[in-house]
Amino acid sequence: MKKFIIALFCLCSFSYATEYDPIRGEMLSLSCASCHGTDGKSKTITPYIAGMSKTGMYQILLDYKYGKREGTMMQKHVKGFLDEELEQIAYYFSKVQR
Amino acid sequence: MINRRHFNKILVGSVALSFAACSSITSVSLPTDKKRVVIVGGGFGGATAAKYLKKFSPETEVILIEQNKEYYTCPFGNTVIAGLNDIEYIKHNYKTLESKYKIKVIHEKVKKVDGETNTVILENGEKIAYHRAIVSPGIDFKYEKGYVKGSEQYSPHAYKAGAQTLLLRKQLEEMKDGGTYVMVAPANPFRCPPGPYERISLVANYLKKNKPNSKIIILDQKNKFSKQGLFQEGWEKLYKDMIEWRSAEFGGEVLEVDPKNRIIKTEDEDVKADVLNYIPNQKAGKLAFDSGLTDGDWCPVNTKTFESKLIKNIHVIGDASIASKMPKSGFSANSQAKIAALQIVRLLKNKDIVNPPKLANTCYSLIAPNYGITVAAVYEAHEDGIIAVPGAGGLSPMNADESYRIQEAEYAVAWYENQMADIFS
Repeated sequence: MKKFIIALFCLCSFSYATEYDPIRGEMLSLSCASCHGTDGKSKTITPYIAGMSKTGMYQILLDYKYGKREGTMMQKHVKGFLDEELEQIAYYFSKVQR
Repeated sequence: MINRRHFNKILVGSVALSFAACSSITSVSLPTDKKRVVIVGGGFGGATAAKYLKKFSPETEVILIEQNKEYYTCPFGNTVIAGLNDIEYIKHNYKTLESKYKIKVIHEKVKKVDGETNTVILENGEKIAYHRAIVSPGIDFKYEKGYVKGSEQYSPHAYKAGAQTLLLRKQLEEMKDGGTYVMVAPANPFRCPPGPYERISLVANYLKKNKPNSKIIILDQKNKFSKQGLFQEGWEKLYKDMIEWRSAEFGGEVLEVDPKNRIIKTEDEDVKADVLNYIPNQKAGKLAFDSGLTDGDWCPVNTKTFESKLIKNIHVIGDASIASKMPKSGFSANSQAKIAALQIVRLLKNKDIVNPPKLANTCYSLIAPNYGITVAAVYEAHEDGIIAVPGAGGLSPMNADESYRIQEAEYAVAWYENQMADIFS
């Protein structure tokens, strides 16, 4: 049982590297909505990001920031945010219903 | 005898009358059970702020006052001038904001926002009290050098979209092949820094197809412009020799204009235009001046909250505000409106503001329907103003291949449609 609790604790601390700050997450998400639609619910070819997995989205944002992924616009925007802020953004959109 | 149809008509009429009377009475004094925010101006800034205030705090009463029932966006207005879209494409209304978000929308002209009594005074004499007000009046024009009010009918600026957009389109359509389209581009600062040059690009696109012997002259009131390298690269590639740009120091400066006869006097010569698109120099919208919110031509604000530095409880967003490094663009106004809404909700609830707020801007320009370019930046609000975050943002690359330009053009359209949905639906 003890081992199970420790394992669970490790899992949690891995997937929640930074504590979610809903106010900050929402504030940081606002400029994303200008291109991706309100709460990331895009109605056009711009990707629909509402309800994306937090881990997946965070990784994509980091890949743009550190040059592993290219686009016309995204790498220019993500460089304006700290890693921790990108994580908050990923948290925010993961919590929005698709 | 009153038949059923007639009776229903009377009934609807009296319901409408009593609603109008009620809304008038409730509007005058402040509600005691909730907070009220009154927004003046229903463009990119005001309409976004209204929607997001309700999104962040549904219990707040939000009143949006905009004199027009329909709003025509300046972004993508250039595609209408050049015949790529109909005017319907840039027309939007406030019905969803009313029905879905329960925002009270009043179509009246505002006389002033009175910071001493915390009321918005309408031209019809009605006064609407507020806990906080947002003023988003956009731009007004400086009438000088012979370009006076009314000159628009001969030499449209088309820098507020709507009737002017259609007039300029008509003049372009009626211009003879071999004619000269002259644009007078404004001095800094002005709404949408790349806007005039996108317009020139799309006008060139139209002329190349329809009147290929024509030429375009830009008389610029400054010596450089936004995305200059990218525009000039595109012009060289697509419209070779059709566009002549004259900087202020090399023949562009306008000394005097005769809008009716379309003659522009410069130091070097009198330029005769077949179509004269005169974009005057700019300042904050009239309401900002009438309400005492200006210092010089624009409105100083605390950039963390967009609250006026001159009058408490009034926030100024969009083109009229001095937002340091942020350009006067629709995207900027949208970004500022959301931050202002977020901070106002926190201030009304006596909570700390979010600090530091981050904002962003992207300006898409079309050089042709399938040729897009951009500039972007991310901003952070500090005590002494808004700064661009170093290392972020930037321009589209020079010498990019065709597929890259096509992709940017597709994203330009995607941005516009999502942005409109973000504001109006």
